[in-house]
Amino acid sequence: MLFENMAMAFSAIRANKMRSFLTMLGIIIGIGSVISIVSIGDTMRSLFSDLYKNVGITQAYISIGYWVDDVRQSDYFTLDDLARVKEIFGDEITYIDSGASASAEAIYKRTTLNFDYTGIDYNYIDVQPVDIVYGRYLNEGDILGRRKNVVMDVDSARMLFGEENAVGKTFRTTIYGDTDTYTVVGVYKEDINAFQALMMGGGSRERGSAFLPYTILTWPNDYFYYLHLYASEDIDFSQFMTRMIAYVAKSKGREPGDFRATTAMDEMTQVDSMMGGLSMAVGGIAAISLLVGGIGIMNIMLVSVTERTREIGIRKSLGAKTRDIMIQFLTESAILSACGGIIGILIGVGLVSLGGMALGVGTVVKPGVIIMAVSFSALVGIFFGIYPASKAAKADPIDALRYE
Amino acid sequence: MKTISLTWKKRKIPSYLTENVSEDLIVLENLVKIYDTGLIKVLGLKKINLTIKRGEFVAIMGKSGSGKSTLMNILGCLDRPTLGHYYLDGIDTASMNPNELSEIRNFKIGFVFQSFNLISRTSALKNVELPMTYAKKGKKERRERAMELLKRVGLESRADHMPNELSGGQRQRVAIARALANEPPLILADEPTGNLDTAASEEIMQLFSDLHREGATVVVVTHEENIAAFTDRIVRFQDGVIISDTYRKKEDGERSLRTDQTEQLAEELWAAQSISAREGEAARSDHMEMYAGIAGADALGEQSRDSRPGKENPHVI
Repeated sequence: MLFENMAMAFSAIRANKMRSFLTMLGIIIGIGSVISIVSIGDTMRSLFSDLYKNVGITQAYISIGYWVDDVRQSDYFTLDDLARVKEIFGDEITYIDSGASASAEAIYKRTTLNFDYTGIDYNYIDVQPVDIVYGRYLNEGDILGRRKNVVMDVDSARMLFGEENAVGKTFRTTIYGDTDTYTVVGVYKEDINAFQALMMGGGSRERGSAFLPYTILTWPNDYFYYLHLYASEDIDFSQFMTRMIAYVAKSKGREPGDFRATTAMDEMTQVDSMMGGLSMAVGGIAAISLLVGGIGIMNIMLVSVTERTREIGIRKSLGAKTRDIMIQFLTESAILSACGGIIGILIGVGLVSLGGMALGVGTVVKPGVIIMAVSFSALVGIFFGIYPASKAAKADPIDALRYE
Repeated sequence: MKTISLTWKKRKIPSYLTENVSEDLIVLENLVKIYDTGLIKVLGLKKINLTIKRGEFVAIMGKSGSGKSTLMNILGCLDRPTLGHYYLDGIDTASMNPNELSEIRNFKIGFVFQSFNLISRTSALKNVELPMTYAKKGKKERRERAMELLKRVGLESRADHMPNELSGGQRQRVAIARALANEPPLILADEPTGNLDTAASEEIMQLFSDLHREGATVVVVTHEENIAAFTDRIVRFQDGVIISDTYRKKEDGERSLRTDQTEQLAEELWAAQSISAREGEAARSDHMEMYAGIAGADALGEQSRDSRPGKENPHVI
C-alpha cells in the first residue's frame, strides 16, 4: 500500500512537471541554503582547528592584567623569571620565550621594506617547524650572545635581496631606537594553504618577516611584557595553566586574578561560538524559506485536491476510507517536499564543493546534516500536507463524483 | 460500533463483509430521503419499499428528478437514508459511519458509472486492482485476479493501456472488470451506456446479461427503454415513488433482436478482419452498410430503427 501510494504520488508529480518543480523551489532554496551554510560552518571550523593545530593549540601568553591599576616594573618578566619557570615546570613546557615582536624598516642597498620581527629561542623550530632551505636556524650561541643574526622566509628574502638564497647578506634596521647591521644566517620555507594565507593578510605580501634572538628584543631594559610558552600536549592544559598562573602570581606577590592568560584554546572556542552564532542566524533565515516553501506546497496540494476531487470520489466509491485518501495525499506532499530537499542538498553540496575547490580547501559535509535535511523537508511536506489531505479525505463521495 | 484503527496493522475484515448473508440482497423499508438545502426541504424519496433478491437483473427507470439517482446513491451506500432502512445483504446501512460505508462499498458493491470513472494516468490493470488494493489484498493476488477479469471482458491485451488510450466501450469494460474485482454480490450500474454508441451499448449490456446468467445481481439505473429491455424486472420511479414494478416473462426474454442469419454473417465478417476494437467500430459501420445492402428490406431494416442494430463483438465473451 505504501509503495502503491508512492507510485501514485510520483505519477501525479510527473503529470505536472513544471508546477511540481516550482512548488519544490522554496524547499530547494531552503534546504540548499541550510546545507551550504552548515557545510561552510563545518568547513571553517575544521580549517580553524587545523590552523590552531599549526599555530600550536597549547600556546599561551601570560601577562599582567590590563585591568590592574598599580602596575610595577617588577610585574613584568625578566630572563631570570623565564629560566625559573623552565626549571620548575620542566617537561610540562616544551618552549618558552618573551613573545616579543617589533616592526621596522629594513634597508638593503636601495631597497627599503617594512619588516615584522619575532623574537624566538633557538628551539622554536621544534614547536613551529619550518623547512630551512638555505643556511641554518638560529642557534643557542645566537640567543645567548645576543647576536644580530636573523632567519627569514624565502618571500621576504626575495623581496629584500632580490634572490632567495640570502645567506650571509646583511641589511640595516632600527630596533628599539638602535640602528644596526643584521646578518641573514638562514632562509626557510613554510607550507601554508590558501585559507591560512587569507587569514595572514591576503595572497600578495608587502611586508617581510624574520625571526631574531628574543634576547635582542628585550634589550636594553631586560624586562618584557609577556611570558610566551607552549605546554606539552600530553598534559591537562587548563589545569597546567591554573598552576602556572598561580606560580607567576606568587612569584610576583600578586593574586592569580591579576594575571591574564591568552590561550589558543580560548581563541578557538571563541571562533567556534562565533561560527555557531553565524550558523544559527543563517539557519533561521533558511528556516523561514522552508516555511515559505511549505506554504507553497500546501497551496499547490490544495489546488491538486480540488482538481482531483472526482478522482477522490471514484476512489471512495471503490472503497477507499478516509485514511486511505489522507495517506495518499500526505505521501504526495511528503515526496514532493523530500524531492525538493534532495535537489536542494545536491545544489548545496555542489556549491560548497565548488567554493572549496576554488579556495583550495577540503570541504566538510557531514552525512548527519544530509539525513536531517531530507527528513526535515519530508516533515515539512507532511506538516503542510495535513490540511489539504484532510480536506481531500473529508470529501463527500457523491459531491466528489459529481464534480466536473 | 467498531472503531477504525489508525495503524498500519491489518484490520481483521468483519465476516459480514465477506459472507453472503441474506437471500434478499436489497431490502428497502419505508425509505425516505429528504434533501435539506437550508431554505427548503426537498423530498427525494417518499417511503420506498423494495426487495431485490440475489441473482436478479433489475432496471430502475425514471425521468431525471424522479428519484432514481437518489435511490442509486443510497443503494450504492454513497448516501444514507433520512428515514427508514436499507438492508444490503442483511446489513443495516443507516447506522454506519462513512468509513464503514467505504468498506461495504468495497466488498459488497461493484460500481459501473455513466462516465466510466477510471482513474486517469493509471493503467487498465491498476484500475482493476484498485478495489483489491483498498481491500488490502496482496500484490500477486491482485495482479492475477485483475488479469483474469480483464481477460473476462476481453481486454487482456490492453492491460497496460491508460484510460485515454481506450475507446468508450473498452473503458466501460475495464470499469466492469473493476466492479467485479472483490466479487461483490451487487453490481450497480448508473446509466452504464449513457456515453456509448449503440454498438458499444449492446456489448456492455450483453456483458451484464452474461454476468447475470452466471449468478450476479445486477441493478441498472437507466432512462432508456431499450437498455431496460435487457433486464428481467423494471422498477419505474416518478416523483420519488415507485409507480410500477414489473417482471418480464421468460418466454419474451430474447434480448438480442438479431436473427440467426445476421449473427452468422456478422461472425463471418468479423473473422475476416483481425482488427483492433477502435478500427472495429469504423469497420462495424462499414459492415452495417454492406449488411443493409445484402439483407435489403428484410426484418433487420425495421429492427435497426426501433432497436439495437448491434453486431456480436468478438471481444465479448
